[in-house]
Amino acid sequence: MGILTPLRHYIDSLVHPTAQCDALTAARHRAFIAPRLLGSFVALAAFPLYLSLRGVPSMLEVLVFGWLIAPILIAYFLSRTGRYESAHLLSSLALSGLVAVVAFETGGIGSFAAIWLVVVPLEAALSASRRVVALASAFALGAAGFLLAAGWLEFVPALDAGSHGALAALGIISASLYATGLALGAESLARTSLALLNAEEDRYRLLARNMTDVITRHGRNGAVLFVSPAAEPMFGVAVTELHGHGLFDRVHVADRPAYLTALADAASQDEARSVEFRVRFEAPTGAVNFLWLEMRCRPLDRSTNDGQESEAREVVAVLRDVTERKAQEIALDAARQEADRANAAKTRFLATMSHELRTPLNVIIGFSDMLVNEDTMRIDAKRRVEYAQLINDSGHHLLSVVNGILDMSKIENGNFEITPEPFSPGQVVDICCELLALKAREGGIDLLAKIDKGLPDVVADKRAMTQIMLNLMSNALKFTPPGGKVTVGVRIEGPHLVYSVNDTGVGISAEDLPRLGEPFFQARGSYDRRHDGTGLGLSIVKGLLTLHGGDLQIHSRPGEGTRISVKLPLDCESARRAQAAAAAAVVIAAQAKPAMVTAKIFQSNQLQVKKSA
Amino acid sequence: MAKTVLIVEDNELNMKLFHDLLEAHGYHTVGTRNGIEALDLARKHRPDLILMDIQLPEVSGLEVTKWLKDDQELKGIPVVAVTAFAMKGDEERIREGGCEAYLSKPISVGKFIETIRHFLGTA
Repeated sequence: MGILTPLRHYIDSLVHPTAQCDALTAARHRAFIAPRLLGSFVALAAFPLYLSLRGVPSMLEVLVFGWLIAPILIAYFLSRTGRYESAHLLSSLALSGLVAVVAFETGGIGSFAAIWLVVVPLEAALSASRRVVALASAFALGAAGFLLAAGWLEFVPALDAGSHGALAALGIISASLYATGLALGAESLARTSLALLNAEEDRYRLLARNMTDVITRHGRNGAVLFVSPAAEPMFGVAVTELHGHGLFDRVHVADRPAYLTALADAASQDEARSVEFRVRFEAPTGAVNFLWLEMRCRPLDRSTNDGQESEAREVVAVLRDVTERKAQEIALDAARQEADRANAAKTRFLATMSHELRTPLNVIIGFSDMLVNEDTMRIDAKRRVEYAQLINDSGHHLLSVVNGILDMSKIENGNFEITPEPFSPGQVVDICCELLALKAREGGIDLLAKIDKGLPDVVADKRAMTQIMLNLMSNALKFTPPGGKVTVGVRIEGPHLVYSVNDTGVGISAEDLPRLGEPFFQARGSYDRRHDGTGLGLSIVKGLLTLHGGDLQIHSRPGEGTRISVKLPLDCESARRAQAAAAAAVVIAAQAKPAMVTAKIFQSNQLQVKKSA
Repeated sequence: MAKTVLIVEDNELNMKLFHDLLEAHGYHTVGTRNGIEALDLARKHRPDLILMDIQLPEVSGLEVTKWLKDDQELKGIPVVAVTAFAMKGDEERIREGGCEAYLSKPISVGKFIETIRHFLGTA
């Protein structure tokens, strides 16, 4: 190989650049150039030897040797221009010419050299071009015709018959050898071509096997004609199950129209389409869930479609699993909505806070302003005292609003301390009824208490429980028209103590019910308001109840009154301990998401909880 | 004859404040806590000015103002909004609702009287 390697490199370097990009074309060029160069050089090298053996050459011999230079020139021509067919034609022409001349000189069509004409089309066969083969055959036949004609017209020079047999053998042997060379060359080219084909197929197979995207080919009506192997892990079923309408059957029912539209559009409108849809995935465990796929489809080129079924175009599609991206999009969307909601709640919170603080401040500033200018306002002593009292009342109201906000904030932040102690649950109802008796009488409302006999003591924060019941009962009185009835009760239900507050008031509409107690909820969200009040009551009730491990249930319909029940564990302290452990876990989770915590606080601080008309 | 001011205000103490302030400056007043009643009172008393709280039971002061301004006989009566809604955008919204003037709570007595005089002149 030592000598051959540089020779091979030299021949490689002679291949025209345009042929080098394709391995098979380059091989053809090499197969054309190499034997011609080698043959010619060997022949030229042998010429001096020949001369030394034969002595002075005849005219014919000089001509033949001269002609052997032609392949070098033709190989050079191919190397320079890259015109493979032309080179082949030139080569055929040169060979035909040489054979014709030699045969003419050595006895016409009967000459030993005439057999070489057979080689001409054989050589052309290597070009893999019908045109070249046809022309080469024409050259060979032309040369044969010329020899026949010359023989018939008796132009052919007379031949020395003695050496005819030896020469004929030489002609046949040399032609056979040359033909053998050609055959070997052809076989080598065929092998190269096959190897290249295999390599390419391997490359595609490797791509298809290792690609996570699935390639499909769709025929008429979107039926699947081909699916790449990557579909198996993607769908969890064998590839064959996806053929025909197998893929369509796995598309989520709601996404089927979009899927079919994309395929139909791609087929009919000659445009690439992209669509996202869900498909059923069957895990080996039998579990079924849906994946989000993105499908990009485009029509197959008509020319590669073998011209058949040109009415219904075939479509090639690439399917990609985009489930993760989709999940992220959905999560992002939810987070954005949550943030918007929190932001809106914050704005409402500030607006309501501002309103609730400004209303008593207006009284305080207005009346004190009047007192400052008592001379111009002609205010007498009696009025002065009255105004001072009004300012004082409003100051206290303002204080209660501020305290309410602070209570809410403390409950929210977990800083509200409750001190559980054993007490009789009926006591709380009694205290509240006493406190609110006057208000009920003023409003013309019957306030009734129903306390079960023999109730056990409960362990809870008595002050907080009183605040809860006062808030609920004041609400009930506020929303009950004169002549109505408010009934308060307390009873045992299993492991729970249940306080109830029922009224015959205005009630709450179905759409407001679930949002009631949702912090900062304003039933109408506008400026009209049926009843006065800070609206902090129910939020605080909920907060305090949560601290006790209890909960609140509201049943109501517009015009049919409201039934509220407060459910408490009999021993709040032990219930609270269990809750604290759970809360600790929540705090840790919450710290991981600071934005969400802020949002929650604003929601929980919503002040206005009220019943709509 | 003293000029009459209709006060629409649902907070009792604020109602008393406006009532006393206006009476002290020589105006006659009519008051209601209810927006729907405000319309009837306006027809009945033909006040020279209406003080309108915006957050009211049943219907908002803005809604009442719209009814007043849609009424051929009543639309000439100036409406002054007096409200504790003093966030950004509240004044624009209230003025767009047809109110001739806007005062935010807490009021300044001087500014309040000045605004009333602007519409009614000295009593």
